[in-house]
Amino acid sequence: MKKLLPIIMGLVILGISHFKSNAQTPWDEVMMEKGEICAALIYEHSSWDQYWEGTYLRENANIGTFTRQMGMPMIAMGLTQNVNIIASLPYVSTNPSSGTQVGQRGIQDLSISVKVNWLQKQMGKGNLLFLTNTHFGRPMGNYLSDYMPFSIGFGAPEIGLRGIGAFKLDNGLVFRAGLAYLWRGQTEIERNYYYENGSVYSQYMNVPNALNFHAAIGYWALENRLRLEATYMSLNCLTGDDIRSYNRPQPTNKTEVSQVGAWAQYYIKADRGLGALVYFNQTISGRNMGNATTLGLGLTYQFKVY
Amino acid sequence: MKNLKIYPLALLLFIVVLSSCLEETPNFYEFEGYQFENMDENGGTWKTILVSNPTQINISEPESISSAAYQEELNLLKQRMSGLSTSQKEAVEYWTNNPILRWNEIALELAAKYNLIPGPNPDGTYTLPNATNPEGPPAFPFAHPPYTSRMLAYLSVAQFDALVVAWHYKFEYNRMAPYHIDNSIVPAYATSQLPSYPSDGATVAAVSKEILKTMFPLEFTYLETKYQEHLESLINSGINVPSDIEAGISIGEEVVKLARQRASTDGMSKAQTPKPVSDSIANSAFERFGWKWQNMETPQRPVGLTPLFGQVKMWNVPTVEEVRPGPPPSPGSEDFERDVQELKKFASHMTLNQRRIANWWEDGIGSYTPPGHWNKFAKESIVKNKFNPLRSARVFAYMNTAIMDAGVACWDTKYYYHYPRPVETIPGFKTILGTPNFPAYTSGHSTFSAAAAEVLSYFFPDDATQFRLWAEEAAVSRIYGGIHYRFDAEVGIDQGKKVGTYAVKRAKDDGAR
Repeated sequence: MKKLLPIIMGLVILGISHFKSNAQTPWDEVMMEKGEICAALIYEHSSWDQYWEGTYLRENANIGTFTRQMGMPMIAMGLTQNVNIIASLPYVSTNPSSGTQVGQRGIQDLSISVKVNWLQKQMGKGNLLFLTNTHFGRPMGNYLSDYMPFSIGFGAPEIGLRGIGAFKLDNGLVFRAGLAYLWRGQTEIERNYYYENGSVYSQYMNVPNALNFHAAIGYWALENRLRLEATYMSLNCLTGDDIRSYNRPQPTNKTEVSQVGAWAQYYIKADRGLGALVYFNQTISGRNMGNATTLGLGLTYQFKVY
Repeated sequence: MKNLKIYPLALLLFIVVLSSCLEETPNFYEFEGYQFENMDENGGTWKTILVSNPTQINISEPESISSAAYQEELNLLKQRMSGLSTSQKEAVEYWTNNPILRWNEIALELAAKYNLIPGPNPDGTYTLPNATNPEGPPAFPFAHPPYTSRMLAYLSVAQFDALVVAWHYKFEYNRMAPYHIDNSIVPAYATSQLPSYPSDGATVAAVSKEILKTMFPLEFTYLETKYQEHLESLINSGINVPSDIEAGISIGEEVVKLARQRASTDGMSKAQTPKPVSDSIANSAFERFGWKWQNMETPQRPVGLTPLFGQVKMWNVPTVEEVRPGPPPSPGSEDFERDVQELKKFASHMTLNQRRIANWWEDGIGSYTPPGHWNKFAKESIVKNKFNPLRSARVFAYMNTAIMDAGVACWDTKYYYHYPRPVETIPGFKTILGTPNFPAYTSGHSTFSAAAAEVLSYFFPDDATQFRLWAEEAAVSRIYGGIHYRFDAEVGIDQGKKVGTYAVKRAKDDGAR
């Protein structure tokens, strides 16, 4: 999910040591300076009252409006000038507004990212950047993935490798695109037979691998204290089955989703200390997913340890 | 920066290592081929269920092994065996010398494929699957537990009867397998002294394909493909010549006629009633007891699942009334409240083990149902005990008739007492399992499982304790899941045991050991 961090546009652009605190996510072009730590707390509210059963968008009165809430502590750290580490551990709760089945709550997946800055090159009136982000995620706690749509996660390890390219104009405009390959392992379920285009005699489900694309147009304003972005995100599983007619989803499903959104982040002081962020995402298409609207709010605090 | 460049490589290595740790997700039961522990030479004398006497089906004497016709068949077999493609070899390996198990798996797979409850139409009404228009939507059938129990009963009974007939002629004509006649033939399976005419494999293939076609009319093409692959494998594995296969098929076809005849008049076509009938059943219960079950879904389903499945013809129990238990505790009574408190306690303090048990036995929508779960156990025990196809079919026949009888008995009880579910009687109660579309008392899982466990315990006495423990666990899983009271489960276990005893009694008297 959304994570944060800082960076100094001035430094990147001008190559001088004038740093500012900026939130960072595993898919943006932002890096933190060596010794900087940014702690963040994010709350996210997401809901849908329609979902795609395969490619058919439907309602289900026995779910009604499905609400997912997430509270996520996150920490990002500048290990060196060019290597950042980001870790997060969300707590998720789900709740249907109708029907007789109970929602779930619990600690979801620990995610650890290593973000590396490989290239920054002045080109004309801007700066060209290339970064990678490698992440590893694994479920914590004992949540059951095979209780969809109420389960709080897909319950499998995930390793992702993302390449991020960005072009930052000296006037504060940023263009960015990133593509990740997400390798997913298996999720252990609590039955040893299930149907996935045929019988499967196993207590494990293969969670499909996926491609994850992010793009943004951003603008840094108010002397780099305000960061605004218009975002696009898509996630496409490369294999998997569809939800069967009026049946529940399962972790083997081929999920696809694309969203448009906006992101704003404000640093109360120009340097370090407290910041706030807000984001919004609207699903525009999907498959085997809820047609969700998401709102996130966060507080960040940045400081230097060495 | 330079040493950072090894890290994509390290990552790749990490993924490769992790991928190699992945668990297998097989599509069928993988087991080592085995030598049958017994030939059951007198199997042709065992009592049948649909067939009155094996001689009712006439199978003519085969050509002698010295005849030119037979020698030609042998040559064809050798020619085929010498040029097998990879997929043909895989098919031979897949089918094994006990293809009863594969056809049973195919049946379970179709059950899981068709076990989908129809959703509501945009106007809030529901359309039910219709045998006369199988494409639907919704597709026919909805392979719910009663449907699946009946499907498996007919499949297994027809397989068993047809194999008794096949055994009768095998040992009457004693034509041995090709590899006994021509030493140059190396069979793909363990050799056996079982005569090969008529082919037991072809008998099973013909019966299974036809019964499953009746039960799953949209699967015509899939079943034909499986059938052809199976028949080819009988030759490709070196165990049958074409004349063995033809004779086997003709037995199968005759037995299928008898099975279809029974199925068309067993009352199943009336099990799913129209709303007025369903309402009158509910109202009689209300007048009798002061309560009635209702569907709690939105939009509400107007009719419960197969209200008159309790009137479908049973296999081993003379009348359903003799296995109908007494009434459940009335809502509000002390016994009722005690079991409600227990449900609330599980809902608010569920242990991981309780959750695991609830899910392990869920066998809900989209699965092979509880009857399917017990068929899987039977299959594993059959392999463990190296049963031949006839003895395997006997296990399935008695178990699946007991399971269907348990379903009939349970459904009779369900709609006679019409008892409400916990989500109806406990305000605000939420569950981790979906509440099914039929009354609570008695629990289907408990009844199906106890009946199956009784039969399996008779056939596999060494594992009797395990089977009975599983049945108890299946029963209690529904309490953990929040969809049954303890009395539903306990009385269901008793009911299932009783039903299973009828099948065991019959099996004891069928002439096999």
